[in-house]
Amino acid sequence: MAAPATPAARDWEALARRARWRRTAGQSLLIAFLVAVSLPIILPYFWMFTISVSARTGGVESVVLWRASSVLVPAVVGFGILRIFTDDRRRLWAGAAAIAAAALLALLLLVGRDLHLQNYRFLWNPDIVEEIRGAATASIQFPSVWVAFRNSLALALTQTALVLFVSTLAGYYLSRFQFPGRGGFLQGLLVLHAFPAMTLIIPIFLLMYWSGLLDTLTGVVLVITTLELPFSIFIMKGFFDAVPWDIEMSAMTDGASRRQAFLRVVLPQVRVGMLAVGVFAFIKGWEEYVFVRTLLFDKQNWVMSLYIFWVSEDIMGVDYGIVAAVAVFYILPSFLLYIFCQKFLVQMSLGGIKG
Amino acid sequence: MARIELRKIRKQWGEVVAVEDLDLVIEDGEFVAILGPSGCGKSTTLFMLAGIYMPTAGELLFDGIPVNEVEAKDRNVGIVFQSYALYPHLDVRRNIMFPLKFKGVPKAEAARRAVEAARLVHVEELLDRMPSQLSGGQQQRVALARALVKEPQLLLLDEPLSNLDATLRLSMRTEIKRLQRHTGVTTVLVTHDQIEATTMADRIVCMRKGRIEQIGTPEDLYERPDSLFVASFIGAPPINLLPGEARDGRLAVGGTELELLGAAAGRVILGIRPEALRPGEGGLPATVLDVEPMGRETLFLLETPLGQLRALLSGATAPYGAGDRTAFTFDPEDSILFSESSERRLPDVHVRLPA
Amino acid sequence: MAGYGATSRQRQRINAVLFLGPACVLLFFFFIAPVIVDIFVAFTDMGRTLRITELTTANFERMFTRDRRLAQTLVVTFMYVLATLAVFNVTFGLLLALVTTAVPERVGGFFRSVWLLPRMSPSVIYALLWAWAIDPNERGLLNQILINTVGIGPIDLMNDHPLLLIVVANGFIGASMGMIIFTSAIRAIPEHLFHAARVDGAGGLAIVRHITLPAIRWPLSFITVYQTLSLLVSFEYIWLITDGGPFYDTTVYALYVYKRAFESGQYAYGAALALMLVLLGIGLALLMWRFFDMKRLLQTPRIEVH
Ligand SMILES: Nc1ncnc2c1ncn2[C@@H]1O[C@H](COP(=O)(O)OP(=O)(O)O)[C@@H](O)[C@H]1O
Ligand SMILES: [Mg+2]
Repeated sequence: MAAPATPAARDWEALARRARWRRTAGQSLLIAFLVAVSLPIILPYFWMFTISVSARTGGVESVVLWRASSVLVPAVVGFGILRIFTDDRRRLWAGAAAIAAAALLALLLLVGRDLHLQNYRFLWNPDIVEEIRGAATASIQFPSVWVAFRNSLALALTQTALVLFVSTLAGYYLSRFQFPGRGGFLQGLLVLHAFPAMTLIIPIFLLMYWSGLLDTLTGVVLVITTLELPFSIFIMKGFFDAVPWDIEMSAMTDGASRRQAFLRVVLPQVRVGMLAVGVFAFIKGWEEYVFVRTLLFDKQNWVMSLYIFWVSEDIMGVDYGIVAAVAVFYILPSFLLYIFCQKFLVQMSLGGIKG
Repeated sequence: MARIELRKIRKQWGEVVAVEDLDLVIEDGEFVAILGPSGCGKSTTLFMLAGIYMPTAGELLFDGIPVNEVEAKDRNVGIVFQSYALYPHLDVRRNIMFPLKFKGVPKAEAARRAVEAARLVHVEELLDRMPSQLSGGQQQRVALARALVKEPQLLLLDEPLSNLDATLRLSMRTEIKRLQRHTGVTTVLVTHDQIEATTMADRIVCMRKGRIEQIGTPEDLYERPDSLFVASFIGAPPINLLPGEARDGRLAVGGTELELLGAAAGRVILGIRPEALRPGEGGLPATVLDVEPMGRETLFLLETPLGQLRALLSGATAPYGAGDRTAFTFDPEDSILFSESSERRLPDVHVRLPA
Repeated sequence: MAGYGATSRQRQRINAVLFLGPACVLLFFFFIAPVIVDIFVAFTDMGRTLRITELTTANFERMFTRDRRLAQTLVVTFMYVLATLAVFNVTFGLLLALVTTAVPERVGGFFRSVWLLPRMSPSVIYALLWAWAIDPNERGLLNQILINTVGIGPIDLMNDHPLLLIVVANGFIGASMGMIIFTSAIRAIPEHLFHAARVDGAGGLAIVRHITLPAIRWPLSFITVYQTLSLLVSFEYIWLITDGGPFYDTTVYALYVYKRAFESGQYAYGAALALMLVLLGIGLALLMWRFFDMKRLLQTPRIEVH
C-alpha cells in the first residue's frame, strides 16, 4: 500500500491493468451475487406458473420447469447484458426482439406440447373445484370462485375508497390547519403508525361480535381501513406539505373559500400521492388474510385468500394444477398493480418512514 | 509533479455529450483555469482528471503514460469540491488525515502532517471541531488542507470560491495562489467567474458546450479572443458588438462606414471593448444617454452612428452628464472583427475611423 | 367584528369535524377502544361462550406461574426474532442495499423489485410457494435441486428444521424493508463524499466502512427497532407455513396468543397474553419517535384562514 517515493516511479500501466480487472471482476461478482440470491425468489413464482399451465390431474411434471428455465435464464441474462452494454435504443429493441423470438421458438419446441389451459377451467366451470374435492373428501359445498373474487374485489375497492377519502381529508387538515392539540394528535398518530395492530386482534374480534359486525364484509372493511390509516394519513400529509402554499394563497385571494381551494386547487396537485395510497391500500385489501380468517366464517363471505387457502388445504394432494391456477388468478391483480405502480409504491414506503 | 495531457477526450452519458474533442496540455507546476458558463462540462473534465469519471473516448496521459483506466485512488490527486465534501462524521483532524490512512503513513506521522497542512491553510486551532461547526470559509480551508496533505501531483479545484461571500472570496483568491506557488503543485481550477480565472491562473482554458473555445494567457483571451463567445464572456463590462457588412475595403456599421484594414468581405461583427473608447477630437459624434459611476471608473452609454456603445473611462467623477454631446475615438488595434457566420475572429483585420 | 369572529370560529369547528372527524371516529373505534377492551377482558374469565361472569386476576397468575408452554414459546420467539433480525432484516437488507446501489441503476432496481415481490404478494400465496418448494418428497423444488445438483437425498425441512424454515421464510420478506430504507439512505449521501473518498485513496470496502456506514447509523437503529417489533407481533407466515408445528416447535408468542384465544377459546387469557405485546408495542413505538424528524412533522401551518 505504501506510495512510491516519487510519482515518476509509479507503474501506471500496472495500475491501469489492476483497475480494469477489478472493475469487471467486481461488477460481475456483485451481479452474480444478486442473481444467486434472487433465484430462490423468482424460481418458486415461476414454478407456480409452470404448474398452472402444465400439470395434469394427479401429477406434476417438473421437466417443464427445467426445460423452460434452461431457455428463459439464458434469454434473461442475454437481455440484461444487452441492456448494460447498449445505449442505442434501436439496437436494444432489435436485440431484445431477436432474443425473444429465439426464446419463444425454443420454448415451443421444448415444452410446447406440455402446455395447456385445462387448469384454468375453474374460471368458466366454477364447480370444478367442488367436483374434484367431492371425489377426495365429502363435506360441505364450496362456493364458486367468482363469489370469492367478487367479495375480494368489493372488500379491496371499498377499503381503498375509504382509506383514500379519510386519509386525504385528514392529511390535508393536519398539513394546513393549526388547531389546539395538533402536536399531540400528530405524535399520537406516529405512535399508532409504529404500533403493531395485529396485537389487537382479540379485542377487535370482541368489538365486532358485540356490535354485530362479526362475519360481515362491512366489519372487515372498517377494521382494515383503520389499520391502514396512520400510515396513509402520514403519506398524504407529506404530499400536501410538498404543495406550495402560494397556490392555495392565491386561490383564496381570488375569492375561493378554504374548501373550494382544497377541492379545486390543492387536490389535483396530490394526484400522485392519492394514486400511491390507493394502490397500496388495494394491494393490502386484496391480500388480507389474518383478519378475514378471524372475522369471516360464512362461505358466502369468503374472499380470495380464504378460498385459495381452503382449496389448497383440500385438494392439494389431488390436483396441483388447479391450485396453482387459482393462485395465479389470485396473485395477478396485485402483481400487475405492483409492476405498473412500482415507482409510486417505492416512493411511498420511503415517505412513510420519514414521517 | 506531473505533466498532464488530454487527447481528444470525450465524455457522454447516454445521449448527453458533456465533453467533446478535448485537447489540452498542462505543464508541470502550471496553474490552469477552466472557464466557462455553467453546464459547459468543466466539472466533468476535472472529474476525468481525478479519475472519478472515465472518459468515453480519447486518451488521458500523466507524464506521457495513459491513465484513462487508473482508479482515482491510485492517481495521487487532491481535489476540493464545490460543496467541500468534508466527511461529516469525522472531526477536522481526522478529515485531513483521511487520505493518509490509505497510503500506509504511520499514525504519528499522519497526525504531524495533518497539523502541518492545517497550519498551511490557517485552521490549526479548528482541528478538534466537527465540519458542521465550521463556517463556509473554514470548511473550504479544511478541504484544501485535506487535498494538500497527501502531497498530490495534481491539485484540482472545482469552483472553490463560489460558496463564499465577496470579501472572503477575495482573500481566498490570494491565499490559493500563494499555496500554489509555495507547493509548486500542478493545479487546475474550474470556475465560471472570469475575474477568478484571470487573476489566479497562468493560463485559461475557455470552454463552451463541452468544447474548448480558446486556450491562452489572460491577456491572449482579453486582447485576441479567438471567437465571439470568448470575446463576450471575458471582460466586464462586456465588449461592444456591432453587426456590419464589409465590402471594398470599407465596413458599413449602423448608419456609417469605417475604413477596413486587412482583407474581409461579407457579414462581420465588430467588437470594441468599453475601455478602448476614449474621448477624442474628430472621432465618432456621440450623445451621452446614461452615466453609471462604478467606483474608480465611470461607464457611459453612448448613442453613436455605429449604434449604442458602452465606454469605460477612469476617474470617479464623470466629465459628461446625460444629454451631453461629444466625440469618442479608438485605436485601430483595439478593434476586433469576427465573421458573422463562423463566429471566429478575422486575424489581422481592424477598422479605423474615416479621416 | 364580533360577528365575523364568531362565524370564523364556527367554521373552524365545522372544518375540524369535516376533515378530521372520519379519521378520529375510525381510529377511536378500532385502535383506542380495542386497547381498553383488551385491558378489561384480560381481567375477566371470558371463555368460549364470550360471556363474562367474574372479574379476576387469574389470567396473570396463570401466565406467570403455571403456563409451562409459555416458557417454551418465549424461547422459540427469542431465537426466531434474533436470528431473523440479525441474519436477514438487518444484515441481508443492508447487503442488498449496498450491492444494488453499487451496480448500474437499472440492474440494481430490477433486483430490488424482485426482492419486494414476496412482500407484495398475498401471504397465502407466499406460504403456498413455500409449501411447494419444501415439499418433503422428491417433487419438491428444493429436493429436486438438492438431488440433481448436490446429490443429497430428499430432506424434510418442515419436520427436521422448522425453526430454520420460518426464519428464512420471514427473512425473505423482512430483508426487503431494510433494503428499501437503506437504499434511500445511501442515495441521500451526497455523491461528492464518495468521489472525495475515492480520490483520497479509499477502495470499495473502505468507502462502505468510512462513508456509507456512518451515514446510515440512524436508519440502522430505526430498522432494528421497527423490525424487532414487527417480528415479535406478526405470526401470519408462521401460521400459514408451519401452523406453529411440528408440535409447538415454531409457535412464537404472537401465534400462541392467537391460538389460545381463537382455537382454545380462552379469550380472557389470550387478552392477558396480548396485553404484554400491546405494552411492548407502545414502548417500542415511543422509542421510535427518536428516529423521526419531529420538528418538520410538527411545523405549524402558515395559513390561518379557515
Ligand atoms: N453524472 C452525470 N450524468 C448525466 N449527465 C451529466 C452528469 N454529470 C454532468 N452531466 C451533464 O454534463 C454537462 C456538463 O456538466 P458539468 O461538467 O457539471 O458542467 P459545469 O461544471 O461546467 O457546470 C451538463 O449538461 C450535465 O447535465
Ligand atoms: Mg460544475
